[in-house]
Amino acid sequence: MAHDWQPDFEQLVDEHQSMVFSLAWRMTGDRGLAEEIAQDVFMELDKHLGKLESAAHARFWLRRVAMSRSADALRRRKVRGTDLWVEIDEGHGARAEERSSPLGNRLEQLLSTLPEPHRAALVLRYQEDLTPEEIAATLASPLATVKSNLQRGLKLLRAKASSHLREYVRVKEQASGL
Amino acid sequence: MDFEPMEDFERELRQAFERRPAPPGLKRRLMEKRRALRPQRPHRHSHFVLLQRLAASVALVAVLGGAVVWKDAEERRKGEEARRQVLTALRITGHALNQMNAQLAARDRAAQE
Repeated sequence: MAHDWQPDFEQLVDEHQSMVFSLAWRMTGDRGLAEEIAQDVFMELDKHLGKLESAAHARFWLRRVAMSRSADALRRRKVRGTDLWVEIDEGHGARAEERSSPLGNRLEQLLSTLPEPHRAALVLRYQEDLTPEEIAATLASPLATVKSNLQRGLKLLRAKASSHLREYVRVKEQASGL
Repeated sequence: MDFEPMEDFERELRQAFERRPAPPGLKRRLMEKRRALRPQRPHRHSHFVLLQRLAASVALVAVLGGAVVWKDAEERRKGEEARRQVLTALRITGHALNQMNAQLAARDRAAQE
């Protein structure tokens, strides 16, 4: 079927580089790897430009491929969550202006300790603001699985965040008492 | 310390999981990589060049064909013109001879009388 939308590669990069990079970064927890993945995703996009029918289709395609490439990279490199405090101190490889609040940083780091399916569902839900149905379509997973991953991931992350925050406050209080 | 209720925690997550800016220079590196890979994927370019060559060939054939047809028509027109002039000359000559014959015949008749 013919479609009027004419994709512009440069414009698509401008619009979606932040989304693709952030998805890859949060999925892998590795800034350098995330940049490599983002480059691969956009080079793949270049090959598929003719098959994209609309701006929404391009966005959906980019999300799906970014998530799939990140999962492949995780499987290849066996990237795992590292120690929370070391990661926070190192700013996760980010420049100062890219860092969010300390709590935000902790939540991001705790995210990297979750199982990959939980992480994928949470990232798409809270970074991209997708509905469970949209997440299921993006990940090509059954809706029930996505809902379960969202619930479990959220519960697990909340438990970890509460525990780490208690520890953080205790350390802070001890440090200020000394 | 705890997150109560769950909505607060979800709000925190949305804030924490905002998109990060892409690394500076990512777009530039991408465009360079794309340019470097261009010659390996020449199908679009070659289609364009092929179409250009085809259009140029069609235009050339049309111009040459037009010239040949025009030349042929011009020669035919000149031939017709020449034929018409010869016929006119012959008609004039025939008319003059007929007049001359008539005058000679009249003179002969007058001499006999």
